[in-house]
Amino acid sequence: MSEAEVQAQPGVLTRVPMSRREFLYYLWGVSMALFMAEAGGALVWFALPRFREGEFGGVFSVPVEQVPAADADPGEFPAGRFWLVNLGEASVTDPRQPQDYPMAGGVRAIYKVCTHLGCLYRWVPVNERFECPCHGSKFLRSGTRIDGPARRNLDTFLIQAVDEAGTVLAESEQDPETSEARSLELPPSTVALRIDTGDRVRGGPNSKPGGGR
Amino acid sequence: MKWRIVLGLLAVVVITGVGAYVAISEEARMAAFTEAYHARQIETGGALFEARCRTCHGPQGTGIEGVAPAINSPELFSGQRLQAIGFSGTMQDYLKGVISAGRPVPSAGTNYPQRMPAWGESYGGPLRDDQIDALVAFIMNWQGEAGPAATAPASEAVGTDIHVALPPGDAPAGAALADSLGCTGCHMLSTVGPGWMAQGQEPGIGSRAASRLEQADYTGEATSPEEYLVEAILQPQAYLVAGYESVPMPGNYGQQLTAQQLADLVAYLLSLH
Amino acid sequence: MALFRLHLPLLDEIKAKGVRRALTDKADDVVTRVTAGLNIREVRGVLRDDAPARPNPRLKPHAEGFWLHMKPTYYHNLVDGLYPTFRLGWLSTFFFAFEILTGVFLMFYYTPSPLVAYEDMLNLLSNVPFGRLMRDLHKLGAEVMVAVVALHMLRTFVTGSYKKPRQFTWATGVILLGVTVVLSFSGYLLPWDQLSLWAVTIGASMFEAIPPEVVGRAVNLIVRGAPEIGAGGLLRFYLLHIIGLPLVGILALGVHYYKVILHGHSLPPEAEEVGVDTAKRVPMDRRTYFMPQILTRELFYVAGLTAILVGAAAFFYHAPLEPHADTLVTPLHTTAPWYFLWVQGMLKLGDKVLWGLIVPGVMTGLLLVLPYIEVGPSRRYADRRVGLSIGALSVAVLAVLSYMGTPWYAVQTSADQEAIAELVPQTHPGPLRLAPWDDLVVGTYEAGQWQNAPNATLQELLRIFQEGVERVESPERTSPSGVIVIEDWQNGLRKITLRVLWTETATGRPGENSQSVYLHRDSGYGQGE
Repeated sequence: MSEAEVQAQPGVLTRVPMSRREFLYYLWGVSMALFMAEAGGALVWFALPRFREGEFGGVFSVPVEQVPAADADPGEFPAGRFWLVNLGEASVTDPRQPQDYPMAGGVRAIYKVCTHLGCLYRWVPVNERFECPCHGSKFLRSGTRIDGPARRNLDTFLIQAVDEAGTVLAESEQDPETSEARSLELPPSTVALRIDTGDRVRGGPNSKPGGGR
Repeated sequence: MKWRIVLGLLAVVVITGVGAYVAISEEARMAAFTEAYHARQIETGGALFEARCRTCHGPQGTGIEGVAPAINSPELFSGQRLQAIGFSGTMQDYLKGVISAGRPVPSAGTNYPQRMPAWGESYGGPLRDDQIDALVAFIMNWQGEAGPAATAPASEAVGTDIHVALPPGDAPAGAALADSLGCTGCHMLSTVGPGWMAQGQEPGIGSRAASRLEQADYTGEATSPEEYLVEAILQPQAYLVAGYESVPMPGNYGQQLTAQQLADLVAYLLSLH
Repeated sequence: MALFRLHLPLLDEIKAKGVRRALTDKADDVVTRVTAGLNIREVRGVLRDDAPARPNPRLKPHAEGFWLHMKPTYYHNLVDGLYPTFRLGWLSTFFFAFEILTGVFLMFYYTPSPLVAYEDMLNLLSNVPFGRLMRDLHKLGAEVMVAVVALHMLRTFVTGSYKKPRQFTWATGVILLGVTVVLSFSGYLLPWDQLSLWAVTIGASMFEAIPPEVVGRAVNLIVRGAPEIGAGGLLRFYLLHIIGLPLVGILALGVHYYKVILHGHSLPPEAEEVGVDTAKRVPMDRRTYFMPQILTRELFYVAGLTAILVGAAAFFYHAPLEPHADTLVTPLHTTAPWYFLWVQGMLKLGDKVLWGLIVPGVMTGLLLVLPYIEVGPSRRYADRRVGLSIGALSVAVLAVLSYMGTPWYAVQTSADQEAIAELVPQTHPGPLRLAPWDDLVVGTYEAGQWQNAPNATLQELLRIFQEGVERVESPERTSPSGVIVIEDWQNGLRKITLRVLWTETATGRPGENSQSVYLHRDSGYGQGE
């Protein structure tokens, strides 16, 4: 039987050796696949929106004079969609603060959007806590949830403290245990804070009544 | 026919390579374009300034007395002017707003007979937003240059000694100097610094100078109303009037003024009852 | 007892035939579905260029698949290579697809409003990775596509392929030519820079010239959305560009290509009789099959062309971006895109209705009906000497008219303005802006003394200026001279004033024309704007 006839018979597993032409075609196919992968990556990079400074999604610069005093009412920054809170002694030792999320003193930049279903919560000075009007989630000044249907603490943005020349004096770190951003103590020569609204740190899981993991 | 396969393969490799090369140099190229475009904005702004603004503000933006104030002025770039009027945005915002909307009402402490027209399209003017942005870029490019400040040559500066002897002062010259130095920006309406003019029961600064000396909280060293005013100009930190501690008065007038200029200013202030 | 059972046919097969065989058969099945009829063995046969089995399985993807349905299964071997068609029709389709692809990506970052269009271009070039490459590819592809489509029409005319039975194919081709040109023209407006606005204003004004006046005015308003091109015009041109014309183009292309396949690619004149469908009568020994020969060629062309286009756009060709559109200022020497230069040339001859509407209209009409009036029975070159001569003459006339459309013909303004425009043209950077900034030393320089300038750059600029200045000499104006003044104006900014001075012969008084331009150190002209 000729090779063609052998091949034409169903059910016959003939191992036909790869010819040079065939190999070159496969090589070409691989190169096209690689190019498609590169083009896909380039397309994603092309299509991802980029934010300039001062646009939400970019970096916001806040002069240190505008940072609220320790334990004072939070400062609102609507353009950047965040609150700036300064945790002093009273906030750190607040009895309502859940044990799972101990707080240190310092500045935090809290995203204005409630972690439940996206409404903008408010600061209620009389109760000294954030309260969301939509479904009643409640958070402390530190951003930790203490009540309501939200399932995690408020999200925060990373902060850099810069001096006059623009050198970074300190930046907020992420706590490895709670995966939240730690409060940032501002060094004395801080002139401004740079808050990167493109880099949001999710709040830790918090669903127990009264607050807690 | 095999050569087509090989060449096709090579072509795809070439495309991939060129793509990678472009990817690597993209960030730098984009930054370079941003810089180049900003430079071209300055060029466009320069041409627009020459065509539209020069006749009132002078070719280098230093202002024309009685016509239009200086834009190319250290008092603007140091933030003083913005502070004086309580403007909370950036300098670029301020310039953009003034150019677009004009000045239908004269600014505090000024009385230029011609009002600045509105230039922005949305306010009925002839310029598009991008043209106004170009003008702002051009004006901001003056920042950082040695501005045409009223700096006295070092040998003639009056210095900071408040007891220095002064020649006779000419009040009208002092009034003109107060205008050109921008003192009126802060001191006309007493929003930033104590107002000079009489307001209600409160007399003008000429009379107040004497009564301030007698006040229990006076912390300066002056012994006469003239000296009080000299001290207020040369060493503003010596005594801060209650309620005006937050915005400091510039402390370098001692290096900027000659003795005659200081004398003229004091004469003018003393004349305000 | 289970309430429901998961039934995977694959598991049954594995049980019946063993894992290896089952998986191979499954792969075979998938490949057959994807290729619409070829299993792995047959695919490998294609790749190895083996003789096909009988009956030929390689016809199945064409007969049963969607993508290859219209594509012929074989070509006549006289037309399977670059000659005699140069594959220009295929190239036209390639560029159409290329433009659609690059265009869709550009749409991510463009809004058709005069308030933001130009800023969108700046954003594309300064804040979007691969933004400039995408734009350059799109512009380059557009320019080449117009040329390719025109060459395709020329080739079809020369080989007489418009004759029976392909008359309507030619007609749809003329429609496609119109679609291509208007696509390129409507895209021109979108960046909203000075070139866009004025080139399109000139073109759109042709609509206003349509007689009678009431029709012309109405058409103008519909096309522009306003008496002048503004927000309405930009939006309408954008819609034309992204959906109106592409739809018409795809439909016309469908009809055009279907008829090409129906009658077969036209063979060289010696091999084909007029009025005969060659597609159905290709002898077995003259067939070049699509798989693998034509497929490989086409893939090779795609790869090669893309490489050339990407290389050209990345390194050599950069679409210019002029200053923001200004509805109050028309730049000196503003010109139409190259494929409309012939119209601009004709418009300089006289009445705009005659030369801008009637003549081009008649030309297009003649093109459209050509196959129905030129009914000679032979496609051979020897028998079509008259037609080919007319064709050659038409090309020559178009070339001359295109030259007449350029700024060098009949729109020269006064010599002093021309002298200044030599150095600082209003449509492109020009020698002064391209000169190295550091060489523009502060000072005052006379053009007549250009040899004494401190460096080569200034010498060259002054020499060019002097040449222009000398042309100011005329019976009315004598002793012309030129001066260039360079001043430091701001940090990194120099002000350069060009002055042309002369004496009026009639009155003996001096005359002057001066223009100043500001140049910044970092403005980077000539780096691929």
